[in-house]
Amino acid sequence: MQKNGLHRLSRIARRHYKCLLLMKLTALVVLISCLQVSAEGFGQEVKLTLNMKEVTVGKVLKVIEQKTTYRFVYADNFFPAHLKVSVDVKEMAVSIILQQILQKTGFTFSRIDEDLIVITSLVKATQQFEIRGVVRASSGQALEGVTVGLQNSTIQTATNSRGEFNISVPEENGTLVFSYVGYVTRTMAILKDAEMKIVLEENIRDLNEVVVVGYGTKTRREVTSAITRVNADQFNKGNISNVAQLLQGKVAGLSVSRPGGDPNAEFTLRLRGLSTLGTNAQPLVVIDNQIGADLNTVDPNDIKTIDVLKDGSAAAIYGTRGSAGVIIITTKSGITGTPVIAYNVSGTMEKAGRFTSHMNANEYRQLKLGNDYGASTDWNKEISRNAFSHVHNLSLSGGVKGTSYNTSINYRNNEGVALNTGNQQFNGRLNLIQKALNDKLVLNINLNATRRKSQFGNSAAFKWATIYNPTAPVYSSDTRYNIAGGGFFENQGILDYFNPVAALVQNSNNGETKKFNFSGSAEYEIVSGLKFLVRYAQQTSSFNGYSYSPRTALSGGGFQKRGLANKRDDESFNQLYENTLTFRSKLNKLDIDVLAGYSYQDFLNQGFQVGAGDFLTDASSENINSALDFRNGLATTSSYKNASRLIGFFGRLNLNYNNLAFFQASLRREGSSMLGKNNQWGYFPAVSAGLDISQVIDIPTINNLKIRGSFGITGALPPSPYLSLERLTNQGGSYYAGNGVYLQTYATFVNPNPDLKWERKEEIDLGLDFALFDSRLSGSFDYYSRRTKDLIFNLTVPSPPNLNPTTWKNIGEIKNNGIELSLSYDFIKKKDLIWTSSVNYATYNITLSKLDESLKDSYVGASSLGSPGFSGLQVTRAIPGERIGTLWGIKYIGLKSDSTYLFDDGTGKPTDFSKAKEMVLGNGLPDFEFGWNNTLRYKNFDLNLFFRGSIGHQLINTYRAFYETPKLTGYNPVNTKFFNPALKDGKKFSSLEVENASFVKLDNATIGYNFPLASTTAGRAFKSIRIYFTGQNLFTITNYTGVDPEVRYTDVNDNGSINLLAPGVDRRETWVYTRAFTVGLNFLF
Amino acid sequence: MLLSTIIKSAFSGVLLLAVSCTKLDEDKLLYDQVTTKNFYRTDAELASAVGGAYAPIYSYSNFYFILSETTADEMVVPQRGSAWYDNGKWVRYSDHTYTRTSNNTDGEINDAWTWAFGGVAGCNKTLLALSNSNSPAALTYVSELKALRAIYYYWLLDLYGNVPIVTDFTNTQPPATKTRKEVYDFVEKELLDNINALPKTGPADGPNYGRVNYYTAMAALAKLYLNAGVFTGTPQWQKASDACNMIINSGLYSLTPTYLDNFKRNNTGSSEFIWAIPYDGTKAGGFSLHANTLHGLSAQTYTLVGGAWNGFSAVQEFYQSYIDPVQNPGIQGTVIGLDPKGTPTTGTLDNRLTNFLVGPQYAADGVTRLIDGAAEASDPDGQPLTFTPYINMIQPDCWAQAGARISKWQFYPGMNYNLDNDMAIFRYADILLMKAECTARLTGNWNEGTVLTTVNNIRVKHGGSGLVPLTSLTAASFLMERSREMAFESVKRQDMIRFGYFNASRRFNSADPSTHVNIFPIPEVQINANPNLTQNPGY
Repeated sequence: MQKNGLHRLSRIARRHYKCLLLMKLTALVVLISCLQVSAEGFGQEVKLTLNMKEVTVGKVLKVIEQKTTYRFVYADNFFPAHLKVSVDVKEMAVSIILQQILQKTGFTFSRIDEDLIVITSLVKATQQFEIRGVVRASSGQALEGVTVGLQNSTIQTATNSRGEFNISVPEENGTLVFSYVGYVTRTMAILKDAEMKIVLEENIRDLNEVVVVGYGTKTRREVTSAITRVNADQFNKGNISNVAQLLQGKVAGLSVSRPGGDPNAEFTLRLRGLSTLGTNAQPLVVIDNQIGADLNTVDPNDIKTIDVLKDGSAAAIYGTRGSAGVIIITTKSGITGTPVIAYNVSGTMEKAGRFTSHMNANEYRQLKLGNDYGASTDWNKEISRNAFSHVHNLSLSGGVKGTSYNTSINYRNNEGVALNTGNQQFNGRLNLIQKALNDKLVLNINLNATRRKSQFGNSAAFKWATIYNPTAPVYSSDTRYNIAGGGFFENQGILDYFNPVAALVQNSNNGETKKFNFSGSAEYEIVSGLKFLVRYAQQTSSFNGYSYSPRTALSGGGFQKRGLANKRDDESFNQLYENTLTFRSKLNKLDIDVLAGYSYQDFLNQGFQVGAGDFLTDASSENINSALDFRNGLATTSSYKNASRLIGFFGRLNLNYNNLAFFQASLRREGSSMLGKNNQWGYFPAVSAGLDISQVIDIPTINNLKIRGSFGITGALPPSPYLSLERLTNQGGSYYAGNGVYLQTYATFVNPNPDLKWERKEEIDLGLDFALFDSRLSGSFDYYSRRTKDLIFNLTVPSPPNLNPTTWKNIGEIKNNGIELSLSYDFIKKKDLIWTSSVNYATYNITLSKLDESLKDSYVGASSLGSPGFSGLQVTRAIPGERIGTLWGIKYIGLKSDSTYLFDDGTGKPTDFSKAKEMVLGNGLPDFEFGWNNTLRYKNFDLNLFFRGSIGHQLINTYRAFYETPKLTGYNPVNTKFFNPALKDGKKFSSLEVENASFVKLDNATIGYNFPLASTTAGRAFKSIRIYFTGQNLFTITNYTGVDPEVRYTDVNDNGSINLLAPGVDRRETWVYTRAFTVGLNFLF
Repeated sequence: MLLSTIIKSAFSGVLLLAVSCTKLDEDKLLYDQVTTKNFYRTDAELASAVGGAYAPIYSYSNFYFILSETTADEMVVPQRGSAWYDNGKWVRYSDHTYTRTSNNTDGEINDAWTWAFGGVAGCNKTLLALSNSNSPAALTYVSELKALRAIYYYWLLDLYGNVPIVTDFTNTQPPATKTRKEVYDFVEKELLDNINALPKTGPADGPNYGRVNYYTAMAALAKLYLNAGVFTGTPQWQKASDACNMIINSGLYSLTPTYLDNFKRNNTGSSEFIWAIPYDGTKAGGFSLHANTLHGLSAQTYTLVGGAWNGFSAVQEFYQSYIDPVQNPGIQGTVIGLDPKGTPTTGTLDNRLTNFLVGPQYAADGVTRLIDGAAEASDPDGQPLTFTPYINMIQPDCWAQAGARISKWQFYPGMNYNLDNDMAIFRYADILLMKAECTARLTGNWNEGTVLTTVNNIRVKHGGSGLVPLTSLTAASFLMERSREMAFESVKRQDMIRFGYFNASRRFNSADPSTHVNIFPIPEVQINANPNLTQNPGY
């Protein structure tokens, strides 16, 4: 039975303490040179009654460990086998007992911390040099219990709770070895006259590493489902504006994508592809036990670890929200000991990497497509800039007895490469842990506040820069062109065509996001091993948006409306209340871990928007009430407020037989108010098991080999509340009631469906974790097969007979299977030179296996190419029985002799447009994705190169579909290798604009240097200083002719809603792809 | 350990508290939603539900208008580069080459279906709500809603012919297609059954303006009978004539002194309006013809709020039918000509030329010529913006400035995205011409005295005294004169089918190989949703 002492060793680390020492210290005779070789009492200490005869010393120590909080450090075969002792004491202090039993054995003991006792040999206690130092993790946390040994000798000690050690060695030219569970062992030459500072890197492959699972933790060894842990040191570096960016390419099966370099754009996340048509196609995010948290409420600097739960079994404990996987973020917490202060600063220069290629002014003149205004303007250059961003992070962590804390403040200022875009964010976090009642009560408080100011700009500026007449000047005072009086050159005669510089410079489009999260929990150990926890958390997120187009701006409508302002206010709030009861026990060799819990979560979203124009002066724009539109009934407003509730009961059983076989079963019963009355509650079961084969079969090259299998059911909720109800809406505006009076009209618009239920995903995962050749090669392999049934869909139903044209229904089924492989290999593992290379690889095969009969030939998942000219043209669709992501249209074959198009008639024969047959032109989802990371460390230098690629996806290059033709009057045509000046036909969309967009890019390259501080003056003030340089997006290998070949996982419908079934459309509003260079400094005080 | 006991009890307490809360009733979480459970309680709520049945009417100018005009010889939407390409649907409308599968992209064919059946469903659900209401006011709406529903069915009858009919609102079994004759009979019966319960109010009667009254239902019956030959194979000229007479003899309606009175911005209550859509730029939107027809630069002419997309244009030959002295005899004057430059020439001065916007375009000051920097090098009149009635092609590269624009509903400065002008669905001049047509059909004589008188009365009153009264008529010249009066009022497709001209070849469009195109295909998505529907023959 383990006890929760105050000392800093984690439970798991303690359990394996001897295991560690066994590995490290076998056959060593331990010498110690501690502060005191003491036989004195420990002061206030526990008294024991013991009666044992002729037992090994180890046995006695074990009993003492069981009865007290003391822990002993020694090797298993440290005591000679013949050495037996007897003890018979009543209510005697431990120190006295120890003295008794160690008498005449040639051993002594010393307490190096509160309750950590090292047993040492009295032999050869001749020491000449006293070396001292401190060991920390890369995060700056002091590490307690690190074994510090002199290389090629038996001399050894361990660090105390402040990470400090003292060791006496016989000669001054030796090397010390530092080893610690879960960390990479390091060696370092002795520094005689200075305090040695050692930083240990966490070893992710270690089986004893603790990973976070739903409502608890497990060691890596015990994990029986597909869970990937990413530690802070593995995060992507450089210009990171979003937490999702940290994970890009790091986890097999997790796709993270944000095409273009818009600093305000969100990333799209997909775990094992699309598994739902419901609300959470993005994985569920849990931050410090707050379920459904917002990734952006945590600053990347504050994150300690990210655990990604990939399979259905791991996610099932999260019930109706687990279908798209779960990302669990754990922030840094404090450690008892000297306070650690860290300051990180970085600055980034970012520039546009690649613009949509078009004609320059001279080429445009030759094409005679529009008026020659005499200038030569590079519009791309005019709207962009070299953007400078900087990030500051100051954190303080530490703790005193019973209390630990971690607090940080962050400031980020990101500039976008487009004029007038960027954001400034301030974020503060406090994590506080307080123990009381003999450590039986643990109180935990997390507070986090964020305020971000954003300048969104207008992404259409990139489109207009591509197509605007390059012979037009940016500015003009000529009244024919200075139409709006703003001093800019404008032309009103062409659709969707504005001076892009004016669009960015004249208009403002800003917003402020405020987020406040609070989480508090209390855990009480009722009896040994049985803990009850209560948690309350709330998250508030609000957005205030404000945009204004002044009276002199043609784009944005300011000129026509005599100033046009828009204000919006959105707030989302949710509160979570949870209880859990956990019980841990051990029956012989069987570790049992049981969890039961209850969860209640309320969600509330509300907001409104006001748009109004007609201002007397731009100066009063922030006073929207001064807009005349209000007096004239022309102002627009909208508002919303909706709520939902989730209630869950859950339980889990974990069994671990002797670290050999593992079993887990869990069940959640959950209900959601968003579902139909008849189907509000559901069950989400999961089972998984694993077997560590390396424990059974002893093959020297195999260090670890575990097979595991799992099955789990998860759910997905509808995209918004109330969908099962028959609702009325103020439809079609007003209704004339005579005499100039207009009444509001109300009508139902959706049929009720009391049977609406959650989407149900069943998933099987078979996995293999392995470490070979002294753990130089390690990795894991997963095969999964999942099926999501009862897909939630807003189905078009026949009306008549239905009174309303749509019903939210459960129809259809998605199937997906794939493999995921992660491999890591230490190519070089020498004292001064380390080269580790790791690769992850994932495939998908997502098919829409079933769909309601009534949708058979319909354009489900259709996305239209858009205006102008292609607004009715559907270019994507989801076809039952086929892979999701289908790009749809007619197939280009060539040009006729008169330079008009020839298309495929469906049989491969050329025909003209009117007889061309629509067919599958490609797929917007990749066949596989991979990340390849290389870390090199040479003395104090480190180099990291990270490559990332997606292979096999196509993109519809909409820039080319709209503008790559010599026949478009006024617009500057797009000019790629496909541009054909001879083309005589009108622009049509076909396979000609569907391009292979496979790519490999050098995503991130970082070179860093750690200053050896001990011998410098600076070393007195700093614990460590690191400088690094990072380049992002340094090069991309692709055949794609657009600006960014990144996968587009979703598209946006005309009404602004997300279209999950329409990947593969590269929209004209995509920002340019950018390249960034960062220099950063990390200080540890 | 008292403290620990307290803590233990506290923990047990919250646990019990928590487990007891399992309530998920969404009705208790409603904030911004109105559900049928909490509606239809007051008379005002019932009235607003009746309004819901009328709501689709405001989209008439999007769907019924577009399908009726683009398939006829009045309006065309040429492809100008990539603008208005829309996967070829506009050309398909002109060319009558829509197919059963093209309606996935030929939006209006499906949109008009959901629009009209949306109206039917709007009536049905309101009737259902009324039947559950105890309010005495509920009964007063029933006949009005049934007549309104019959009119929605009349449009379905006209566009698609064979459609399902549903009057039992609780049965959700997908209904089967009814024949065009059955639909015709249903419309007739419903109108006749309910007409006498409707108020016999005229255009000046404020409270009923924009709503279905006795004469609205009568006008719908007149239209139904007028096209009975097309709808059922059996003409009903006498019934049509009688229905027209009921309206004419009421004495409530009269021709407006000027043509424009029916189309100006403040045309509410025009003496010709038997049923009009009471559009309002701010309160009741849906009418945005100006945005579809005007050029982007026209924003400067009219100080438009919102853009204009340079699309809908008048068919060149239709414009020609106004200025050509042979087709339209009258005083000659300077008009915009038919050459590619839109050069002023001599032609007939018909007041109804306000249906078109042609010639040089100016800024709001009326003096500054608008310059179109994007004008095609091949456009003979170059960059100064000039709307030429001449249309060089309908695809793929029609000049941006080609085509007379449709300005029948008077434009005004500061037009919002939605126009203020009301739009007549049934207009008195139409009824008079229908009556004249019936007389000609019944007598077999297009030169019958009252026919000529009626036609010339309207012609001179609306076209101007400079117009020479017609001395003789044929079916063709009658339709031509009717079209000059009724231009762009969503009647031309129906008229051309009735007169047998719909399938003939026109400039840019070849003759239809088959008359199946006289009704539209049942939209594929509707057949997929309801397998009991039968596709129209020929598709």
